[in-house]
Amino acid sequence: MTIDNTPVELVTLTIDDIEVQVPKGTLIIRAAEQLGVQVPRFCDHPLLDPVAACRACLVEIEGQAKPQPSCAMTVAEGMKVRTQVSSVMADEAQKGVMEFLLINHPLDCPVCDKGGECPLQNQAMTNGRGESRFDGEKREFEKPINVSDRERCVSCARCTRFADQVAGDPMIALLERGSQQQVGISDDQPFDSYFSGNTIQICPVGALTSAKYRFRSRPFDLVSVPTTCEHCASGCSLRTDIRRGNVMRRLAWDDPQVNEEWNCDKGRFAFPYVQEGRLNQPLVRGEDGLLHPASWTEAIDVAAKGLAAASGATAVLAGGRHTVEDAYAISKFARAVLGTDDVDFRSRPHSTEETQFLSSVVAGSGLGVTYADLEKAAHVVLVAFEPEDESPMIQLRLRKAVRRGRTKVTAITSHVTSGNKKLNATVIATAAGHEVSALSELALDANTIILVGERAASVTGLLTAATKKAKESGAKLAWVPRRAGDRGAVDAGLLPGLLPNGNSLTDSSAREKAADIWNVENNTLPFAAGRDFGAIVHAAVNGELKALLITSVDVEDTQHSASTLQAIENTPFVVSLEIRPSSITELANVVLPVAVVTEKSGTFIDWEGRPRNFGQAIREHNKLTDGRVLAMIADAMDVLLGQQDVAQLRAELAQFAAPTNRVDAPSHGADVPNGLTLSTWNQLIDDGALQEGEPFLAATSRNVIAGLNSKTAAAHSIAEGDLIEISTSLGSITVEAIFVDGAENTVWLPTNSGESKVRTNLGAAHGNIVTIKRGGGQ
Amino acid sequence: MSRVPQIVRGFWVTFSTMFKKPNTENYPEQKDKYPPKPRFHGRHQLNRHPDGLEKCIGCELCAWACPADAILVEGADNTEEERFSPGERYGRVYQINYLRCIFCGLCIEVCPTRALTMTNEFELADQTRESLIFEKQDLLGPLMPNMVAAPHSMVEGTSERDYYQGKISRATDAQIAEVAARAGINANGQV
Amino acid sequence: MGLEEKLPTGVLLTTVELAAGYARKGSLWPASFGLACCAIEMMATGAGRYDLARFGMEVFRGSPRQADLMIVAGRVSQKMAPVLRQIYDQMAAPKWVLAMGACSSSGGMFNNYAIVQGVDHIVPVDIYLPGCPPRPEMLIDAILELHDKIQHTKLGVNREREIAALEKEALAATPLHLQKGLMR
Repeated sequence: MTIDNTPVELVTLTIDDIEVQVPKGTLIIRAAEQLGVQVPRFCDHPLLDPVAACRACLVEIEGQAKPQPSCAMTVAEGMKVRTQVSSVMADEAQKGVMEFLLINHPLDCPVCDKGGECPLQNQAMTNGRGESRFDGEKREFEKPINVSDRERCVSCARCTRFADQVAGDPMIALLERGSQQQVGISDDQPFDSYFSGNTIQICPVGALTSAKYRFRSRPFDLVSVPTTCEHCASGCSLRTDIRRGNVMRRLAWDDPQVNEEWNCDKGRFAFPYVQEGRLNQPLVRGEDGLLHPASWTEAIDVAAKGLAAASGATAVLAGGRHTVEDAYAISKFARAVLGTDDVDFRSRPHSTEETQFLSSVVAGSGLGVTYADLEKAAHVVLVAFEPEDESPMIQLRLRKAVRRGRTKVTAITSHVTSGNKKLNATVIATAAGHEVSALSELALDANTIILVGERAASVTGLLTAATKKAKESGAKLAWVPRRAGDRGAVDAGLLPGLLPNGNSLTDSSAREKAADIWNVENNTLPFAAGRDFGAIVHAAVNGELKALLITSVDVEDTQHSASTLQAIENTPFVVSLEIRPSSITELANVVLPVAVVTEKSGTFIDWEGRPRNFGQAIREHNKLTDGRVLAMIADAMDVLLGQQDVAQLRAELAQFAAPTNRVDAPSHGADVPNGLTLSTWNQLIDDGALQEGEPFLAATSRNVIAGLNSKTAAAHSIAEGDLIEISTSLGSITVEAIFVDGAENTVWLPTNSGESKVRTNLGAAHGNIVTIKRGGGQ
Repeated sequence: MSRVPQIVRGFWVTFSTMFKKPNTENYPEQKDKYPPKPRFHGRHQLNRHPDGLEKCIGCELCAWACPADAILVEGADNTEEERFSPGERYGRVYQINYLRCIFCGLCIEVCPTRALTMTNEFELADQTRESLIFEKQDLLGPLMPNMVAAPHSMVEGTSERDYYQGKISRATDAQIAEVAARAGINANGQV
Repeated sequence: MGLEEKLPTGVLLTTVELAAGYARKGSLWPASFGLACCAIEMMATGAGRYDLARFGMEVFRGSPRQADLMIVAGRVSQKMAPVLRQIYDQMAAPKWVLAMGACSSSGGMFNNYAIVQGVDHIVPVDIYLPGCPPRPEMLIDAILELHDKIQHTKLGVNREREIAALEKEALAATPLHLQKGLMR
């Protein structure tokens, strides 16, 4: 982290007769906090602009006739402030305001979800009168089905300011006037935001509550555990609330360096998968060809025998969901126990160019570009990266930077997206696959950050171009993966030819060091770099492999789902480490259940390269981590790896020093596709396996449409709203066409939403050539 | 007195006691003769509104107040099809572990709807731990005359507020018919 | 134990069961195990007002060899646990255990490291009695329920069958870690 050394101008003032020095521009309420004086507040929030809507924070300021809201006034030199601690006037004013706020607030605390953790409850006790003088009828509203208890609202405008200032989504606003003032949604604008859950968390009364958490629990029931979000590489700090071994809810935790106090709805609500439909017992395929529940000893024995028998023709397919420790355990197991280098975590379209880029630029590089850097940068270029869908915290941070007016965002993408609009981004509309030339033409300086997304892998030459551009201009470059475990997997060496922390397998000294740390003979480790995910699948389809170890892979993510399944079918022995039944576990010979993120401790490495440690939240389920399971298999294969608990793995990984002599990745020339190309990325809320079982969340996903330029559409005689068929040689998808403001000769589809299952139905990646035609009409 | 032998003095106490009225409360034979005082803290009861809807709103305040952590409550939403209490929320799960309970009565003091009260019943001994965790059906008070068992809708034309202001006196014919229809019994006659 | 264990089932064994049950319940001598406040109520139960002598139970034995029923009255600390078990082991069979009050039954409000969370972690408990502390009537009620249990205790072949049936039932029951609510 860089330390800002600019001198801060200080202002001296007295609060409650105590002299205090604070930076210029500080709000009185914050200055009072530094003295330990808690001025009551509802509308005040450190990350939102001051509005002084609730008037709960009134204080007396010498020289002013009337009490002033301390949350909206900045300090001035020599100011004399008296809070409720030393001023009767301020105290009376605060009590009066509290009485007014409570006039229309219903006395339904027992049925309100906020009860017990409610700022209004607390502050009515600390800064309110014991009794109300109001004896009239309280205001009542009809309760709409999905939104809120409007009569509880104290019109603090926190939710509306969040929607307006932070998320930039027009989801919620204050309507009407006077006592009828209420929070509402516009009739013609849908309540559609990826960040709506944050309004629930910042609501200081129970006006906005979560449909998911409704009446489920009370704060005193909950055991809160700090955790890290497992859904994307943003690395949000979360608070997971557990009641009797079940996750009740998840909240954003305050981490100023990463997610501030926000998170996205996926991280907040997509957790039912941790308890519903889990695999609880090992399964072994019997003589009859069916999977039968088995004891751990039996299952481990079968797995070990099968893998040992297939020695020399085994491969490991690891998904992108692993913690660093587990990824490292898999990496070690493949090299030291199976003796293969055929190991890859990229269960998505990828390329050799990407392997080389990740090995030489990303692996073991530690903390690189940070969120703070994004805020300070003058120019941020998004290349093949859609922050709102792929890393929502980057979206919020960029929006914060853009709102300050010092940062400008340029996006090289196929069309103007809603996320781009909120960033006020300059969109260089580029047909998918043509990004290289668009990037090369940009004039960049050293105060620029280039963010490259996961789909850059499927555009030949793009990663080379980005690296070159960054080197030429002095701009900083960051690779933003989509999944939480991707960056950690790179650091753990889950790539062919890559040892942990960026060491190369073909470097003999690094190999020796690895063999030493793993306590195995040097010659048991593979000598040559192995195959990547696609090549493994290809080899398996051709029947060249005798055994596969698959951990947390979803076939729907892989380039072409059918061929992945074919590969598994053609392999005689498959061991699957999974959390829930999937199409892969159905085909496996041995299925071993493993722990989900709440059931284990570990570390995710976010896109910055920042380790995000978390502890075990649920102890009751007695699930094993991937590392422990692999250690048991290794034991049964007579290779002793030790306990392989999280602490041991972490310590071992730390023994790998990052290489001092980094070799530049070989450069790849651009290979521009000739024809209409497919632009695609995963939407934030889609049909991903970890989002199952959450109807409230699924309801906030966006419509499944094909986006294309009107000229392209006209060339294929397609009108807006027509059903169009997008096809490759492997299959087709039929969805509604919507005109977007974007590049010609490209069509956009969400990767895994509703009917648009690009991997399953098209077997295509971003930038591949597809054909479109009108199909079916309206 | 000193001339009387010690042994006689000693037995005199025994002898004279023979003519005293015994103060033994012959429990359980004469149980009704010495009932506990009305303020005695016995087994709990979950009360009902006069029409049979449950008073418990599942707010968990009793569980919160409980010093022995003997109460488990889980709230849930009332729906139009299945209404257990007036208002939005009801106690879906209600359990008291009598092997933890210390009968201090803090739970009944905090209950905002007077749903939870204590009876004078104290004969609770049992042979297993499981059987001493009382669930909602064990704790719910008996159906008094003019009550019908939840779930059923509220008295027509009333709101939650009317229930708390004591404006409901009995189950209406419509409610009785509704419960009967639910149970699959003909509406005329007893429910 | 004795001859009665070897009797074949039928009218004879049933009659022996009745006689043995009647005799056992009629002179059930408690080993006092007063550990805390519950012991005060236990003493009161033995005194004239509640008069446990009416049930042939007036002799609270300090010596375990002479006792049939252990009334665990009060919270059992971890340190007391082995002592309690030893006393129980020294009692001659047939023997019964009554967990009196919340603390001995489940740890009660003392859910902490110092207190055994239910005396059934150490000895098999026949009757659990809630209350903090239970009033003497409650103790008498529990004792009467225990009497009932003793009266219907089976012997010999019948007992073996009963054990087999209970075992089968226990195997079919939901394991504790899968139960919901307070049983967890």
